[in-house]
Amino acid sequence: MMRRNHGCNPVEHIMARRQFLASSAASAVGMGVLGNRAQANQLQRQEKRILQVFLQGGVSQLESWDPKPGTVHGGPFQAIPTSVPGIHISELLPHVAQRMHLLSIVRSINIKINDHEQGRQFMEKGRRVGDYPYVGAVASKYLTPPDSELPGYVHVSSRGLNDVAGGAAFLGAKHSQLKLIGVQPPTNLAAPSGLDDAADVDRNQLRLEFNQRFAQRRSKALTEAYDASYHQAAKLMGRKEMFEGEASQQDLDRYGTHDFGRYCLLARTLLENGAACVKVTHHGYDSHAENFNFHLEQLGEFDKPFCMLLDDLKARGMLESTLVVIYSEFGRTPKVNVRYGRDHWGTAWSIALGGCGIQPGAVVGKTNDKGTAVADREVDAGHLFHTYLQAVGLDSTADHDLQGRSIPIGDPSVAPIEELLA
Amino acid sequence: MTRLMHSSNPWTTICVAVAIIIAAAGSTYAEVPLHQRIDAAIGCGEATFEQHAADDAGDAAFARRVYLDFTGMIPSSTQARQFLADPSPDKRARLIDALLRSPRYARRMQYVFDTMLMERRPDKHVKADVWHEYLRKSFSANKPWNQLVTEMLTADGADEASRPAAKFLLDRELKTDPVARDLGRVFLGRDLQCAQCHDHPHIDDYLQRHYHGLAAFLNRSYLFVDPKSKQSSIGEKAEGVVKFTSVFTSEGGETPPRMLDLPAIDDPPPGKELYAVKPEKKKVRTVPIYSRRLQLAVAMTDPSNVAFRQNIANRLWALLMGRGIVEPVDMWHEGNPPSHPALLDLLANELHEHDYDMRFLLREVALSKTYQRSSQYKAGAENVQDDQFAVALLKPLTPEQLAWSMMQATALTDATLADLKAKQLASTATKDTADEVAAADATTVVDDPVWQEQALHDALKRHVDTFVTIFGVTGIQTSRFDASANQALFLRNGAVLQSWLQPNGQRLTSHLKTLERPQLIDELFFAVFSRPPTAEEIEQVTRFLETQQENQDRAVGQLVWAALSSAEFRFNH
Repeated sequence: MMRRNHGCNPVEHIMARRQFLASSAASAVGMGVLGNRAQANQLQRQEKRILQVFLQGGVSQLESWDPKPGTVHGGPFQAIPTSVPGIHISELLPHVAQRMHLLSIVRSINIKINDHEQGRQFMEKGRRVGDYPYVGAVASKYLTPPDSELPGYVHVSSRGLNDVAGGAAFLGAKHSQLKLIGVQPPTNLAAPSGLDDAADVDRNQLRLEFNQRFAQRRSKALTEAYDASYHQAAKLMGRKEMFEGEASQQDLDRYGTHDFGRYCLLARTLLENGAACVKVTHHGYDSHAENFNFHLEQLGEFDKPFCMLLDDLKARGMLESTLVVIYSEFGRTPKVNVRYGRDHWGTAWSIALGGCGIQPGAVVGKTNDKGTAVADREVDAGHLFHTYLQAVGLDSTADHDLQGRSIPIGDPSVAPIEELLA
Repeated sequence: MTRLMHSSNPWTTICVAVAIIIAAAGSTYAEVPLHQRIDAAIGCGEATFEQHAADDAGDAAFARRVYLDFTGMIPSSTQARQFLADPSPDKRARLIDALLRSPRYARRMQYVFDTMLMERRPDKHVKADVWHEYLRKSFSANKPWNQLVTEMLTADGADEASRPAAKFLLDRELKTDPVARDLGRVFLGRDLQCAQCHDHPHIDDYLQRHYHGLAAFLNRSYLFVDPKSKQSSIGEKAEGVVKFTSVFTSEGGETPPRMLDLPAIDDPPPGKELYAVKPEKKKVRTVPIYSRRLQLAVAMTDPSNVAFRQNIANRLWALLMGRGIVEPVDMWHEGNPPSHPALLDLLANELHEHDYDMRFLLREVALSKTYQRSSQYKAGAENVQDDQFAVALLKPLTPEQLAWSMMQATALTDATLADLKAKQLASTATKDTADEVAAADATTVVDDPVWQEQALHDALKRHVDTFVTIFGVTGIQTSRFDASANQALFLRNGAVLQSWLQPNGQRLTSHLKTLERPQLIDELFFAVFSRPPTAEEIEQVTRFLETQQENQDRAVGQLVWAALSSAEFRFNH
């Protein structure tokens, strides 16, 4: 059994080499024993973070990032030029097109999975099988500022998707996602009337004393997960006002008043307040029937609010430190079925990403003329997982160091997409 | 460091040995009670196993565990005290038998099987209350599993009597995907989902024909909505085949109904008439002469379909042990084999031989030493793997168990029952004060445990529903524990629990207020933890109460809250 690297902060272990080299070149300070510690502090001060926009059900690459107008499977929509000469995307994303210079596209994903749940798990964990943490949980563990009042990983969604252990796996419930169902403060955020702060502290202390006795010679995983939920609750109670803040009319005019617009506004607030990973789910892309009408409507709802969020992150100077990823569990079949639908398709599809650590305005990989196979630079969710983490300055090839167990953070058999990294 | 490794599993060898002994010894060995054979298959008595295995749980932990497992709530303080005070050596077996015969057993199984079969999906065509009542009555009568499944898979929902049993199919709207997948998962322990479009890419033994063979039993059936009554039921056509094509290889085929690898069930040669009720412009529910759907229950429960009995045996084991012999319980395949194959066969075959008597199997498991072990590992044995069943696993309380246990601990149950009894007697009295027979009947009624259980359930159901909303998971159920901040906020600040802590009437908090400190602490521990406090705990709680002198009422409420919110209460341990 491997024991490794005792006595130092795990964040130090996963400092990306790229950053290490960059800052040692930029600074005259020698990298002695203290150097690593300084790196870790610097990383946390920078407060890098991740925004995930999950288009649930599987957005069609042909109606978004990889249009093939005029081809046999191309569908009715046109491709439009973008702010990056030479890059065309679907006409369903006019606002994104104007901001293409902030984003990049990967057009050559083949995950070999056509099942929602398995595809989603692979895209989140970068592993096909096994109990590994989601990107968001990894971000929560290594990117959450020590003084953060928010749980590290927050998911805004109109309904619950069943994420086992909140996606935290062996990282523990502290890093499991806080699910917010829509733009509502978690209910029961106010302490019971008649219970002042001191009394609340006292009863909680007593609860912990009971727990301490029960934990003796028992497996810790479950009891710690339970306790972590109280800890998280206490933190949220401290930030009650954040969820109660009404959106300004100006924001509503820009983002729109529908659910997804409100989710994007909430995501902005959460990111501003130190969440290490905010995931916003936009439901409803599983278009087995009426694919084109569905995408017209869905992407019409997605396009503008997402871009307003992107603009605001940029205006606040946060985009350089925020990795933005727009992804699904898979794409959709080139072949249109008899119900004018497109079905599940993990074989040749796209995502878009930008912001922190990502080379902007790039296109990686391509599909063949009909879009039925990857023609160049095939990657899967394992490569993407490495890429996301490297982009926010974490060495995805390092290990999680867990009480004597070392577990590779990213799948060791694949590597990041180097040409995407800034 | 000592470890029990899964890979070099010494217990597999023992299990095989046990299986050989069973086979060789034949009927004489079979007379050894099942619970002892279970222990032998796990490794009890073997020095290498016992070295790491936990001690007996003790009477108090046993009682709490078995009350939770068989009645779905913790014992009342009185019940816990009575059990501990009982000196008789066979009291555990007697408690198991008493609980399995109590009306709460049927209620608990109603919750368990509702969750297992419907996975907390929202109601569609069959109302939850008639379905719940159907399950409760089935378990009250100890209906065999094969019979229950036969009813569920053959009912067409066309008449009131058959509607509840038809919920499994009707609420899935006869759609091939959820129905075929859930038949595989829930009744056969196999998730064939990915075999839908292609032979499973990572699991060699899930084949497209397994999935489509199951689908073929039902592909002619459809959701029929009566044009007048708008009532839905199951109609079936006399023709139609299931074709499939692999998305990977373009290989395809046509399959008749088929249960996994068992022989296909070909349609009989068609007679002159195909229909008992013919199609008529979509206005009638068609009924074919030969029904593929009615073959499903026959094929499912046929003794040759071993997966059917293995699945339910594994699920009942998991219910009591916190983990399946195959885990997850719906992911049985070559890459995820049973941890104790001989034990699983033993349980499955015993269940089959006992006519699918689930109460029998649950009783035998509960009688085993394996079930009755402590959840505390022996010093130095912290690395014992869960799938060795050497230490009792922590089982998170289900939403229903948590709700009922909190109501039991705060004495909301006792207080409510007292009110209900008084109301019942009063209403009889006002109806006819002169009728002594009616008054005597009313007294009998309120003392009837079945009446009590039903009345209490009806009165408190809304609270149980609240807990299900907060703590329940929709969709595939797993044995994994997940705790969210939302749930903790509900317990910390929610109005429901706070109201139960108010010192009103017969509530625990008002009772505790009347007691002096040593008795107060003793009663608190029996009411909430179903055990006496240790000396250290008495000191600890005394310290707490002493710091809260200025507001003892509030302090008692905080005390009960802290105990209810503790890990010890949250798990069946």
